[in-house]
Amino acid sequence: MRTFRVMKTLFKRDFLYSLYSLGYYVAIFASFFVSSFILKNFLDSIGEEDILVSAYPLNYPLYITLVIISLYLVILSGISISREREQGTLEVLFYGPVTPGSFLWGKYLKDLCLGMVALGFTAVYFYLVSLFTNLGFTLGLVKALIMSVFLLSCVVSFGLFISSLTGRIRSSVLALVAILGAFLAIQLGYNALLGFEKESLSVPMLYVRQAMSYVFRGISWISPFAYLSRGLDSVVLENPFLYVVNIGYAVVYSLVFMFLSVYVMNKKGVKA
Amino acid sequence: MIQTVNLTKEFNGFKAVDNLNLRVEKGDIYGFLGPNGAGKTTTIMMILGLIPPTSGKVFLLGEELKPNNVEVKRRIGVVSENQYFYKEMTAEEYLTFFGELYEVPNVHRRIDELLEAVGLRNDRNKKLGAYSKGMQQKLAFARALLHDPELLILDEPVANLDPTSIKQIRDLIEEENRRGRTVFVSSHLLSEVERLCKKVAIINRGKLLAEDTMDNIKRRLTDTIHMEIELSANAESLSTSLSELPFVKGFTVEGNRLEVHLKTERDYRLDLSRFLYEKGFLVLTMKTKEMSLEEAFITITQQNISLLAQGEGNA
Ligand SMILES: Nc1ncnc2c1ncn2[C@@H]1O[C@H](COP(=O)(O)OP(=O)(O)O)[C@@H](O)[C@H]1O
Ligand SMILES: [Mg+2]
Repeated sequence: MRTFRVMKTLFKRDFLYSLYSLGYYVAIFASFFVSSFILKNFLDSIGEEDILVSAYPLNYPLYITLVIISLYLVILSGISISREREQGTLEVLFYGPVTPGSFLWGKYLKDLCLGMVALGFTAVYFYLVSLFTNLGFTLGLVKALIMSVFLLSCVVSFGLFISSLTGRIRSSVLALVAILGAFLAIQLGYNALLGFEKESLSVPMLYVRQAMSYVFRGISWISPFAYLSRGLDSVVLENPFLYVVNIGYAVVYSLVFMFLSVYVMNKKGVKA
Repeated sequence: MIQTVNLTKEFNGFKAVDNLNLRVEKGDIYGFLGPNGAGKTTTIMMILGLIPPTSGKVFLLGEELKPNNVEVKRRIGVVSENQYFYKEMTAEEYLTFFGELYEVPNVHRRIDELLEAVGLRNDRNKKLGAYSKGMQQKLAFARALLHDPELLILDEPVANLDPTSIKQIRDLIEEENRRGRTVFVSSHLLSEVERLCKKVAIINRGKLLAEDTMDNIKRRLTDTIHMEIELSANAESLSTSLSELPFVKGFTVEGNRLEVHLKTERDYRLDLSRFLYEKGFLVLTMKTKEMSLEEAFITITQQNISLLAQGEGNA
């Protein structure tokens, strides 16, 4: 019980101060700006062709919005522990009743709530879009927004895990950029190799492609961004089972990464 | 309240704390003395469980220290060597936050009391980023006392303060001790804790040199006569035979200069010059070095003279 109160206190302080930070709103509105741009292109093309090409016209802009918010959140959670380590404020908390568990779950809640507030803004934005265009605010969009909460949870727990491993803000950012960059590079490389006909590839390249498919499959379970695309896809596929399964995956993923983070923090300690 | 058993910390093979055995009893104001780099902060961090010892044990409030034992930590207050704050918070917000963490009842009244006691009442709404080092130190004090801890652990608490503030903090420590709080306070200056502490431990290079009452330590520190001697020839060869003399506590040799620390039961000058003469040296000058308590403390830590061994020998 006391652990929860500690967590709540940590959460409250952190959340309120994060809400005052400018970067948060910049990220949200940057994502709306990009989505608006995509939507405008989309509407222009409808105007020309006079046909609706997608049953979920708002889902792709939502995906882009989510990716931008996720990038912001993954950095935010990725530096949240290392920053307190670097500045020494972490140490002071641990003179008292704070433990790695209460600290990390407090951070998790804070970042997830920031994500949910951003999703709130997103819902309002898409509602306004639906008022001004003939693109409807469909049930599919509501489902996608609900799914997004779980997907952001993956993003946050992944960021916290990286942060638990690093002692300084700079190393956290470098680690995040390196890891996410590597994920992206492998995905692009794999897609490029898939583009070739099997017959046109030399034998060594076939092995490379095979190896990459394993790596790619591995990454698709580790990268929070893979969960993001899979989760949103499940909405478009209109498969309730898949929808629930993806939520389940996201919950398990978050728990695993949070437990790993607590473990690492216990091992690594609170000093930079 | 605190006990360490053979506490040792190595950093890449370097022993920052070496087989340390301390014992702090309830009600003590216990001074933990040693020059910079002696291993004081490292010891304190191990006592708090924030860095794991290489070997040895810590008992805190009667229990062996376990990771994340928050129930024990709720009963201690800590002021660290360097202060770390959330710079965007005001003093009041900061203390309210910690008050909530420690579940302090009537937290606002307690904050008023403490800000008054440390003299920060008028700065309570200032952002901590704008606090001076001294103000930060005092605020850390208020934070450490917020939850009425049984044990206060203070790492060089007055190092950054002006004389008035030092007196303020010292009075505060004494007041808290009178109310039954045990205090463990580290310092690199003997004079800082001389009037405050009833008991002291002196460490250097991670090793305990002495643990005794302040009075005994003072007596022992001034209980040594320091002789500066100039000899007719290089005295390096004397080392082993000098250490065998029963009235010599310690010495340093530098060329033909010799500094010898003598016992004080009687005047050993004659014995010493006779000894030197027999070894083939002539004494050119011999003079007694006057030392304040602080100088004696510095000498003893620099030269690692083990008062501890001697204390046990006398007992
Ligand atoms: N994290 C660390 N890594 C390596 N050496 C360290 C570390 N922390 C402290 N030391 C070394 O241990 C010794 C004791 O340091 P410290 O406990 O801070 O001394 P004090 O607090 O008495 O001034 C010093 O020589 C210091 O350089
Ligand atoms: Mg120190």
